[in-house]
Amino acid sequence: MRCSYCERRCEITEGKTGVCRMYTVSEGIIKERFPHRWSSCGASRLEAVPFYHAYPGSRCLAIGTTSCNFRCQYCSNAFIAKEDPEIQQDLLYQLTPHKLVSMAQKLNCRSIIFNVNEPTVSLPSLLDVAQEAKAAAIPMGCLTNGYMTVESTELLASIFSFFNVSLKGLSSHFNKKYVGIESCKPVLRNIRRLAGDRHVEVTTPIIQGTNDCEIDTIADFLTGVDPEIPWHVFRLLPEDEMMGTEYPNIQAIDAALQSARKKLPYIYFHNFVGSEWVNTHCPACGSVVIERFSLGCGGDKLNMLRCEDNRCPDCGQKIKVLNEKTPFGNKGV
Amino acid sequence: MSIVIVDARGWQNTLDLMTGEKVQAAGSVVEMVKGVLQKHPYPGDMDPGSNRWVSDTALDLIDSYDPRFVFLTYAAQYFSGRYTPMTKETRAGMILDTFLEAERFMNTSGFAAIVVGTGDTTPLLGFVDVTGLDGLAVCTHWSARYAGLYGPSPEDMKFLREHPHIEKIVSREEVVGLFNGTPEQTPEVPEYLMLAHEGYAFKTINNAMKTPARITSLNFNVPLFAPGHIVGDITGIRRVLEEDLSEKNVALIVLEGVGLDDFLWPHLSCRNGTQWYYYEPGESQYLTITTGEHRFLDYPTGSGYKYFDKKERTRDYPFSGMFKSIPEGTLASKFPGKSIAVGNKSMFMHMVAGTDLSVECFSRNLHNQGTMAVIHREDKQL
Repeated sequence: MRCSYCERRCEITEGKTGVCRMYTVSEGIIKERFPHRWSSCGASRLEAVPFYHAYPGSRCLAIGTTSCNFRCQYCSNAFIAKEDPEIQQDLLYQLTPHKLVSMAQKLNCRSIIFNVNEPTVSLPSLLDVAQEAKAAAIPMGCLTNGYMTVESTELLASIFSFFNVSLKGLSSHFNKKYVGIESCKPVLRNIRRLAGDRHVEVTTPIIQGTNDCEIDTIADFLTGVDPEIPWHVFRLLPEDEMMGTEYPNIQAIDAALQSARKKLPYIYFHNFVGSEWVNTHCPACGSVVIERFSLGCGGDKLNMLRCEDNRCPDCGQKIKVLNEKTPFGNKGV
Repeated sequence: MSIVIVDARGWQNTLDLMTGEKVQAAGSVVEMVKGVLQKHPYPGDMDPGSNRWVSDTALDLIDSYDPRFVFLTYAAQYFSGRYTPMTKETRAGMILDTFLEAERFMNTSGFAAIVVGTGDTTPLLGFVDVTGLDGLAVCTHWSARYAGLYGPSPEDMKFLREHPHIEKIVSREEVVGLFNGTPEQTPEVPEYLMLAHEGYAFKTINNAMKTPARITSLNFNVPLFAPGHIVGDITGIRRVLEEDLSEKNVALIVLEGVGLDDFLWPHLSCRNGTQWYYYEPGESQYLTITTGEHRFLDYPTGSGYKYFDKKERTRDYPFSGMFKSIPEGTLASKFPGKSIAVGNKSMFMHMVAGTDLSVECFSRNLHNQGTMAVIHREDKQL
């Protein structure tokens, strides 16, 4: 039977698995193979995930499972996302939803973030966690590659109130060669859907000479979805199958972002130590309203929040931020 | 003001070490260090050329800055052995290469060397899983022997005391007493410190999923190559350095993950801690060596410090891990001659060495982002 969790829509026979190896068919239904097994569970800062416009400066419980439905050549978590999940089971945390939520409380975490691999491969477990988290008034967010079906997108929207969707590239050539999918159309569709009533940020890793030529087109797409969407442009770290390739040129990417910055006020260029492009500027007057510091590779942190009431202290302009002042599960502004 | 220059491969930025704010800095030392960073991109923690990078970078700095004291750390063998299962022969070859690299540095530079190994490693036998406690257990994944314990229930304590791979559970008061700690240092220490048997590591939340092939052994003693000296404790290394520096150029070379069993040169066996406590490789062990006194309480992170439990005390020193001030009393910070440090262990050389200049790799959990240099002082002109 056909799996309908992600857009690969794998044909799975009884006892077998699809591309992600996280679902099987048992007694005629698609079942999660390793429920409530977690590869990661630890405290982190929201900025490190990264979320720059959600609960600034707060701590989250960062969790993940195993495997992925993509095969990115540059995966920085390949040892989790590309390995056979079956052989990893002995290494995983076995934590019930109740235990996870109580761990988040013990660690004074404001939210729970799924950020290591793709949440679509573990949706039933995440639905269970969401129930416990909602009862405890702990919002959940996630990083996702956005390649899920329409039905799964609705499930994700019911679990998570904020998303960082990875839009890796637009061309079919890029997606086939570097990501292992035919097209990014489902990702674009899902970004539009989620941005409709959820807080969405977008991340694009830039491989120089490959997808940097798409910067303006991606910016145009995001502008069409929501001109206030925060966009994280990542300098790709050459790892995994791309180990040994050149590090992308920071000045060249910065220059390529110049015209995009005129369309999208919240563009960030980071994933390298000492980045100068991690602060939030007021779209109206240009003042720094959120100041951050970046150590790269999940080392970003909040330095100063100047818009605690979601307004620029200098000119009063609304700043898009999801926090306690915005309704649970709704957009920041 | 201490200046940090980050080199993210083809792009450099100059910042204030304390605030992390961008600064304009110029001058012969700054330009020289920028040039050295540009010339020596870091190959990566697991790259076979990683230790060579340490020597080559140091030799270039020596050529340009003419220091009298050099502090080097070679760590490639530690990182490679930690995650890659290897035969005894391969591992022996890797250790030999490390000594050959240190020897190449000594021969090329002409510096006399004091060489210390941070301790043996041993194959991982298993984990002590403490994720199911009512209370909270905390450790970094680099630590094997120690984990902090907070708010345990009576059931937790029964489970832990009966656990076959837990050797000892020590109260906060006992830990603080062992190191003559002050009331200010007490909250930094976990309510209880748990000690695992050799070969076992604690599994707590926040552990990375990368399973180590080898973890640190019970290194109550570590090897020291110090020709002409008698030293019984790592707190005595500083005195030896001071004596030698009074008459010649000296390099302190730290070999990560090398212990008494693997040390290839004639050596002394040095006490690596006090009573039941020994240092695992890391900041507090380095500080103890460079200051000549036990500094466990200055940096207890590796031993179960609940670092995420409170708002950061200060945003100062964002490049320096849990350090929120420059440690006092390091040898190089008091030494009147010029000094440099180069290391591929982590981003803490600039704090523990106290040297005028330091160059270190900038890798976070083995992700190679480039290099970082810190200029603490440039008044000792080129």
